[in-house]
Parts: sequence; structure tokens; C-alpha cells
Amino acid sequence: MNDTAFILTLAASVGAAVPIALAALGELLSEKAGVLNLGVEGMMLVGAVSAFQAGDNTGNLWLALLAGSVAGLVFSLIHAFLTITLRANQIVSGLALVIFGTGLSTFVGKSIEGIPLEPEFDKISWGPLADIPILGPVLFDQDPVVYITIAIAFAIAFYLNRTKSGLAVRSVGESPATADSMGVSVSAFRYVHVMAGGFLAGMAGAYLVLALVPSWSQAGTTAGTGWIAIALVVFASWKPVGVLAGAFLFGFARRANFWLQGEGVDIPAEFLAMLPYVLTILVLVILGVRSSGRSGAPAALGIPYVRDER
Amino acid sequence: MSSDQPGPDETRSGPAAAIRAEAVTKLFPGVIANDHVDFHVDEGEVHTLLGENGAGKSTLAAMLCGLYRPDQGRILRAGKPVNLRSPREGLAHGIGMVHQHFRLVERFTVAENVVLGDPYQASLLKQREIEGRVGELGEQFGLPVEPRALISDLTVGQRQRVEIVKMLYRGADVLLLDEPTAVLTPPEVEALFETVRAMTAVDKAVVFISHKLGEVMEISDRVTVMRAGAVTGEVATADTSPRHLAELMVGRPVEVEIRRGSNAAPGREVGIAGLGLKLSEGDQVLIDDVDIEVHRGEILGIAGVAGNGQRPIARALAGVVPPDEGTVTVYGTDVTGKGPKAARRAGLSFVPEDRLGTGLVPNLSLTDNMLLTRPRGFFVDRRAARAEVTEAIDDYEIKTPGPDAEARLLSGGNSQKVLLARELDGLGEPGGPQALIVSSPTRGLDIGAAEFVRGLLHEAREKGAAVLIISEDLDEVRSLSDRVAVLYRGSIALEGPTDELDIEEIGLAMAGFDRSAS
Amino acid sequence: MMPFQIRIERRLERKWWYSVLTPVLSVFAALLGAAIFLGIEGFDPIRVYREIFEASFTTRFGFTDSVTIAIPLILTGLAAAIVFRMNLFNIGAEGQLYFGAIFGSWAALALTDGMSWVLGTVIVMIAAAIGGALWAAPAALFKAYFGVSEIITTLMLTFIALFFMRYLIFGSGSYWRDPETTNFPQGKKIPDGARFPQWSDTRLHWGLVIVLLVTLIIWVLIKYTSIGFDMNVVGSSENSARYAGIPVKRTIIVALLISGALAGLAGGAEVAGRAYALDPNGLELGLGFTGIVVAALARYNPFGVVLVAIFIGGLRNAGIALQGLPGERIPVEVSLMLQGAILLFAIGGEVFSQNRLTITRTSSSTSGTEGAAA
Repeated sequence: MNDTAFILTLAASVGAAVPIALAALGELLSEKAGVLNLGVEGMMLVGAVSAFQAGDNTGNLWLALLAGSVAGLVFSLIHAFLTITLRANQIVSGLALVIFGTGLSTFVGKSIEGIPLEPEFDKISWGPLADIPILGPVLFDQDPVVYITIAIAFAIAFYLNRTKSGLAVRSVGESPATADSMGVSVSAFRYVHVMAGGFLAGMAGAYLVLALVPSWSQAGTTAGTGWIAIALVVFASWKPVGVLAGAFLFGFARRANFWLQGEGVDIPAEFLAMLPYVLTILVLVILGVRSSGRSGAPAALGIPYVRDER
Repeated sequence: MSSDQPGPDETRSGPAAAIRAEAVTKLFPGVIANDHVDFHVDEGEVHTLLGENGAGKSTLAAMLCGLYRPDQGRILRAGKPVNLRSPREGLAHGIGMVHQHFRLVERFTVAENVVLGDPYQASLLKQREIEGRVGELGEQFGLPVEPRALISDLTVGQRQRVEIVKMLYRGADVLLLDEPTAVLTPPEVEALFETVRAMTAVDKAVVFISHKLGEVMEISDRVTVMRAGAVTGEVATADTSPRHLAELMVGRPVEVEIRRGSNAAPGREVGIAGLGLKLSEGDQVLIDDVDIEVHRGEILGIAGVAGNGQRPIARALAGVVPPDEGTVTVYGTDVTGKGPKAARRAGLSFVPEDRLGTGLVPNLSLTDNMLLTRPRGFFVDRRAARAEVTEAIDDYEIKTPGPDAEARLLSGGNSQKVLLARELDGLGEPGGPQALIVSSPTRGLDIGAAEFVRGLLHEAREKGAAVLIISEDLDEVRSLSDRVAVLYRGSIALEGPTDELDIEEIGLAMAGFDRSAS
Repeated sequence: MMPFQIRIERRLERKWWYSVLTPVLSVFAALLGAAIFLGIEGFDPIRVYREIFEASFTTRFGFTDSVTIAIPLILTGLAAAIVFRMNLFNIGAEGQLYFGAIFGSWAALALTDGMSWVLGTVIVMIAAAIGGALWAAPAALFKAYFGVSEIITTLMLTFIALFFMRYLIFGSGSYWRDPETTNFPQGKKIPDGARFPQWSDTRLHWGLVIVLLVTLIIWVLIKYTSIGFDMNVVGSSENSARYAGIPVKRTIIVALLISGALAGLAGGAEVAGRAYALDPNGLELGLGFTGIVVAALARYNPFGVVLVAIFIGGLRNAGIALQGLPGERIPVEVSLMLQGAILLFAIGGEVFSQNRLTITRTSSSTSGTEGAAA
């Protein structure tokens, strides 16, 4: 067995996992508040193109990452307004967001297509930790965004389970009528969490063009990452730390190809690409059989809230 | 209106009412739900809002707690006008409402539900501390709750306790209880009353909404009676009688008309029969070894407190759910487990407990709703159904834009009428259905319509139909049925001809007391 | 607290002209918004719009091309409409379309050689419908028997179908792949007997007739048959369906299979009418996803779907047509962006047409005493 290739693949999987994890964590926040946002791919593209523009102009990666995140946030406001204030169908609005995001980013990104981006994130040196076999290169020789992503996942888990606001968000996603009657503002919480979702999706897109691909190439930039993120939230049963683990697995599925070829295992790339989706369906069906349809999905997911006033 | 203008309470002697509604009016499309209603409750007092369904009690309560805003008039809290724009603002003013449909997050624990939305809760949740406080509060008011239990594991009575604890935890001094006893068993009702007394003992004001006279007399200090959106009287409980309250409620002296027939004779053909019926859901037994026989030309009434197996029995007999054990026949035809269509083909009509959402399809037109339980070919022919709806609109005085209006746009009473029109059509006539199961036939109807429906049931019975009435309203059951059966915990606790059972005996059976033991 | 409050109430009465005026106003609003954006980016919006309009609607070739593009959109639109109106969210029309194309092209390659096109295309379309229905079947069964949300399963199945289709052409020497194109893999061309003939010198093909026929059938199905009646009942209230003895599971499965079959037909129409091969690049155009938005804008009405699909088809067509224009180039991407903007505005506008919106100023104090201005 070619150890180096395997370790390199694992290390690369961590990088590939970052945008999946960030986008999925964002989607998780939005869904926990009861808003399904299928527009992840669109928000990522807008984030990516904005980040690239910002990076190209300023040369500052962190500024670029922030620009992408904020762009994603602003873009998510469209979905928030349509579905929360106007109570449009969340599925329809999300899909329209993908179409608009694709068009907008392609139009705006026309002038920068194919240009490589110069600066790169420096890897963080963990000293002796980086020399640990396998774990060292995989976990302790990565760029800062990797660690930021891990921190975000744990922070979200803490936020949802241990804080007053986290309790309120979950109630908004489970039973908005209850939340409303107890004085939790359903629309305010939904807005904030859809926007947080947009911020993280934008960040995910930004990371793609800043670190993973280092160039902008239309929809090819995201290559379906947004959809994988949506699958991942389900796969991880709406648990932030589960998202982290799942992202690594899905990232590995995206990177395992070269290693497997080196090993002489000939699995077509397309089948590896299917893996996340097949696994997600499996998880859903197993959960469905075991608990008659009750996955971990927030009970009010996808349902606009209307205060009961005949 | 500005706050520096003195309110009427300040000009009077004595403390201001805990909460007061002054000439509040609330309009819904086409209905005046509340018409210049005055109401107040003092500290340490239980004040009942009494009225039939649709009288406007819940609307008034909704305005008092901030769920609705009055179109005219104002709400005063401790003498000061308040503009409550949401239940949150109501709670901030110490006004808490316990709704008929509980507002609880199923997947949260009791403690999580209680602290949800509390403005004084610190940002970090300290689980153990919160659970301790919730437990203590429950104990203080006689509300035993397990703070760590998941709501989804609790019974209805336990959930209601959580609702009350929730309001107390938030410091509510005015508690609005919307028909709290409707879902409780008699011992649970007693426990609730203990809690209410514990609350008034510490000067909390309680608004108790009900239409059950006995309970009203027992628990309240004063009673405000409403009818058709207006107040018809306010009396101290000590100065009134159930009969007087009933008169205020229905607007005329009440004589419960006895529509029972005299020709009930055993030995006639059995119309609806369920033998040895058993039905469970998970490990919960819903009905256990129930035998029911309704003969041709007979009305059997099933009485009992809600949740003692009424719904499962009706559903099992009508073929909506197959029983785990036992057989169902309609005029001798075995329809066990063959579905509702087979039962209908054998001649059975069924008016279910839930009108809109089960009996009627909310988003379908009245015409299509009329077709719901009629046989249909490959293509749907709407002509006959449309004519039928038009006729029913006349006969039942249904208020609707027309046969193409969607069912969800009708008020409760009107949708009830559409449902009855469909299911009672041709009942007892040759070629029509010969048997009927009906849940709460007159619930939500105004007096006139209720009389009309009673007449129809009576007529169907005279024509030889077998009718099974299931109702929580004992008076209704007694006034219509030839025989009465009492359900308690999924079994028949008492059964006999209506004339031979006195009301006390039935009441005891409903409460689960064995006749031989008492 | 927000300084103002937006309240939405459902309109009890809806004037008929709302349903005409709102989409028109939405489109104008979107065009206006995009015009400002285009101006900032340095384009003359009037010119851009004029050229788009000419490219897709007013010229003979432009319009026929727009309708040609609308053909699969009508079918995916119907696929969404038939289930969305019963609150069953099949968002996998995209994948069902791929499977329709896979099945349809297989049938074309294997069965139709030497046939007349009348028979050949019917065989292709039937195969495509079967393929689409098959790909909806897992989601339908999981939904009916285990209560698994169809939203996620149909979405997941879409991507599985996508990669499977790519595998057939790019990843393997499958039956569908043209063995002569090794460097740049392509699908095998289907025989003439499986192709819809085009009308005179335009690209518009006979698939349109089938599509219009299918639209009519779906309309009759929804409105005048017991199957449609049952679907309406199940969609509005499962409890009512159970009460009336309507088989809920079977109705859900049937509805999702019909939806899948319609999406499959879209794949078949693309193969037999435009691509003449299983061509992943030509199929991965988001026709399935766009169909969902088409259906929503048409308020899930079959005839509305046809009109909206032609309009959206025109916008998509503009993207292609603009490339061929001489002189100063207008970027193709404008049409894609416009499409998204119009969709979003129309979704918002649709809500306005169904509801009454009132914006109330509220003071920020919690105990304000001024009368409620609801």
C-alpha cells in the first residue's frame, strides 16, 4: 500500500471538506430555524466571485474571505425576504436563488475567468505536532481556515445546545407557534439564521476560489458543492459535529480517486462522486424504517409561519 | 388615547381590576366576534367566561393576552391602558394564556419549554439550576412535573400542567385558561381546581373559560356570560344557579326537549354491530373488548369524557382503521378491515369528530366535498353534487358564497352543516344509507340549526335507520338516544335504556366509579 | 424591534386581473432592477433588452427557437405542477429527465432502426416516460411506506442520475457511447426513425404536438378524473382521504410516478428532438430545476405552465442567440442573470397577488398606548 499517497489524499480531503462543511453548517443554522434554503450553490457562487474580485483587487486573502462571506449573506437576504416576510414556497425560492446566483456570478465574473490568484493561505505550523505520523500532515499541517471551520462547528453545537438563543432557534424550527406565544420573534430568528447561513455559504465559496481552485471558472468553481452540503445536513442528522465528520467523509470521496487509481483499484470517478448522495439516501431510509419517518429534521422545516389569526 | 388620561378605575375607590376590557370590538371577515364587550377580573379572583362555542369567549381571551388586537375599545392592566401587540407583550405585562391546543415544543424537555423565551434567562443555560426551579414552582402550586421529561412522552393532563408552570415561571399574575377541563378526566379536573385555588390564594387573577355549568359553579367567584359576541350578563356565582346561567347562555329558558322515541324494541334487525373490538396504538390500548349493537329504528348514544376511546370506536366501526380484534358488520354484511368504502356500500354514513380536515377537505370546493364520500367513476361528474350543495345551502341556511367556495372559508358551524348535509342525505330512505355514526352532531351549531339537525336524526330514526351518536355533551346524548352507553378508558362502563339510567349514575360511570363499589 | 411591521393577509376575493397584472409587473420590476445593474456595468440596457426581445420573440426563427427550448420546460413544469399542488415536492425532475433520456436513447438505438418516425418517436417517448417514472419510484416508495421526505430523496437521486449519465458517456465504453469518438466522448447518434422531424426550415419539431397533447391530458386528469380527485384530496388532507377510503399511499405513489414520467418525457423529447444522442453536456441545463419555478409561476396550472415555459424558453434562447449577433457583443450571461431576477421577482409578485400587504409603523416602546392601526 502506498502510504504517502494515502496520507496525501487524507490531507487533501481535509481541504476539500472545508467548503462542504462551511456551507453545510450554514444550511444547518438556516434549517434549525425552519427555513430550507436550497440556494446554497447560488450563494456559494456569489461568495466565490466576490471573494475573487476582492482578492484580486486588494491582494489580501482575509479581506477576500470576508468579502465573499458578506456577499453570501446579502444574497441570502433575498431568500429570507421571499420566504419569511412574503411566505413564498421555500423550495421554489431556493431553486430560483441558484439560477439567479449562477447568472449573476457568471456575468460579474466574466472579466476574471481563468485568471489565477497569486497569494495563498499560509499553512499553520504546529511544530512537533505536525510530525506525528498520519495525524500530523492530516490535521496539523493545514491552512487557518481549516481550524476556523472546526471551531465554527463546535461553536454552533455549543450555541444550539447550551445557550438561550440556541434554545429559541430550535423552538422556532420545531414549533414556531409555541415560540411566538412565548415571546420569541419567529421572523427575527429566521432572518438572522438564514443570513448566518448565507454568510457561511459565501465563506465556503470564497474558500473554493481562494484556496482550493485558486481561480474563477463560472459554475465549475463550485461543481455541486452546495448540493453536497444540503445532503450533508441530512446525513449528519442536523448535528454540527456530525457535519464535520461527514464533510471529511464526503471530501474524501471527492479526493480518493487518485489514490485509488494508484492502488490499482478501478472505481469510476462518477461512482465515487455519487457516494455522498447514496449514503444520504441510505441514512434517510434507515432512520425512516426505524422511527417511521422521523429523521432529525426540525418539525417545522419548510413551513412558512403564519400567526393564527383566522 | 394617551396614558396620562386617567382611566375609569382611578376614579373609583378600591384597587383597579387586574385586567379589564373596555368596550372591545373585534371584527373578522363577515363576523363580529366581539361587540363592545366589557369584562374585568380582580386579583385573587376566579372569573369565568361562559358561553357556547362561537360565542366569542376565545376571541376576548385572545385580545386579553395580546394574540389579537381589538379593533375598538381598550385593555387595561391594573388600571393602566396597555396596547398589547403580541403574546410576548402580554406576558411582559404578566398576562399568560393556556390555550386549548397546547403550545409546547414536543422535542424539548419540560424545563426547556418553561424557560423558552424568558427575558430574564441568562445567555448560558444552566440545566440543573433551571430544572430545580421548575420542579419547585410545580410543587408550590400543586403541579407535579418532571423537569427532564420530554413533552412527547407526557399525557394530555401532564402537558397542561407544563403550560401552567410555564406561565407561572414567567411571572404571570393573570392566567387565562381556555377550556382547560375539556381534555381532562374527572380526577385531573379536581387537581386543576386545587391549582387554581392555590393561585388565587397568592392573589393571582384567573380567567376560566368554559361551557360546563357544573364546573363553573364549583370554581368561579363571578361569571360573565357571552352569546353571539356580546355579554349577556355578569353575576356572582353565589347569587346564581345553573339554570339561570344556562338561560343567559342560550338566550331563552332552557327546556331540553326530549326527542326520544318510544318504539325502541329489541329483537329488531341489527344495523351497526361491533363485537369484541380491540384497538391499540403502540403499547397503548385505545379500546378493549367493546361490544356495540345499534338496531334498526334506534338511536344509541355513547357518552364519556373526551379521550376515553370515542374516536377509535367511531373509526373502527366506520372502517377507517381495521380493529386489532373483533368484527364489524353493517346490516349483516361483514365489513371488518375492508375500509370505509365497504362500510358505506353496506349502508353506513359517518360524521367524524374533526369537521374540517377529516370530514371535509379544506382546499376543495363544497361541490367536490359533497362528492368525497359518493361513488365516483373514472371521470368525475359534478352536476348532481352541485345541485345537492345548492339545495343544502337553502335547507341548512349555510352562509357561503356558493357551491364553488372552498370549504376552508366556511365558519365552524357552516362547515358542520355541509358535512351533515352530505352524510344525512337520504338517511333511512329506500336506496339511501340505513345507518349513521355521528360525533357531536350539534357541536358548534346555533340553536336553530341544532334543532334542525336533531329533527333530522329523529326523522331518520323514525324511518328505520340505525343511529350511533357519540358526544361528550351528556344532555345531548340523553335527549336524543333511546339507549346510552358510557365509555371509560376504552371500555363500556355502563349501558342501558336512557329512561332507566339516572344522570348521577351516568356521571359516576363517566368518572370511572364502579356502580357496585360506590 | 423593527420600526415597522409588514402584515400579510390572504385576499379573500381575488380580482381576475391580478393574475395577469402581477406577472407583468413582476417582469417589469425585474427588468428595471437589472437595467440599473447593467447601466452600472456599462451597458445600454435599452439596447440589451431590445436585442434579447428580438432574438427570442419577434423574429420567426427567434420565436420558433424559443418554443423549441420550451418543449422540455413545459414537461418538467407539468411534472412539478402535478405534485407541488398536492404539497408533494418532487424536486428531482432533473434526474428523472436524465433517466428519461437514458431510457429513451436506449430504445432509440436498440429498437427504432428503419422505423417510420411516427412509430419510432412514440417508442422513444414511452421508454423515456418509463425511465423517468422508474427514477421517481424509490422516492415514491420511501415516502409512502417509510415517510421519508421526498424533497431530499428526489434531490439525491438527481445527482446519482447525473453521475450515472456521465459515467455512461465519459466513464465507460457503454452501449450509449459512440465508439468512434475516443478523445472527446460523445453519445451514439440515434437512427432517423427515432427523431422528431423539424417544421420546414426551423428547429421546431413535432415533439411540440406531443407536449401539447400531454398538457391537455394532464389538465383533464387533474380536473375531471377520479385519480385527479383523489390526488386533490390527499394533497389537501390525508385524514380526509383516509376517512373517505381513498388509498393515501397508492395515490402518493401514482402522483410521483406520473410526475417522474412527465420529467422523463422531457428527456425523451430532448433526445428525439434536439440532441439525437445521449449528450450529457446538452442535457445538464437545469431544465428540471427551472421547471419547478415555471410551475410555481404558473400557479401549478397546466396551461399556465405552457405560457410561462415559452417565456422562460425565450430568455434562455436569448442567451444562445446573443452569441451569434454581429457588432459589439452583449454578454450571453445577461440572459441567465435576467432569468434569475425575473424568477425571483415573479415569486415575490405572486405572493402580492394572493395576499394583501399592509405596512404599519410601530413605535419601539412595548407599552405604547396609541390605538392599534391594523
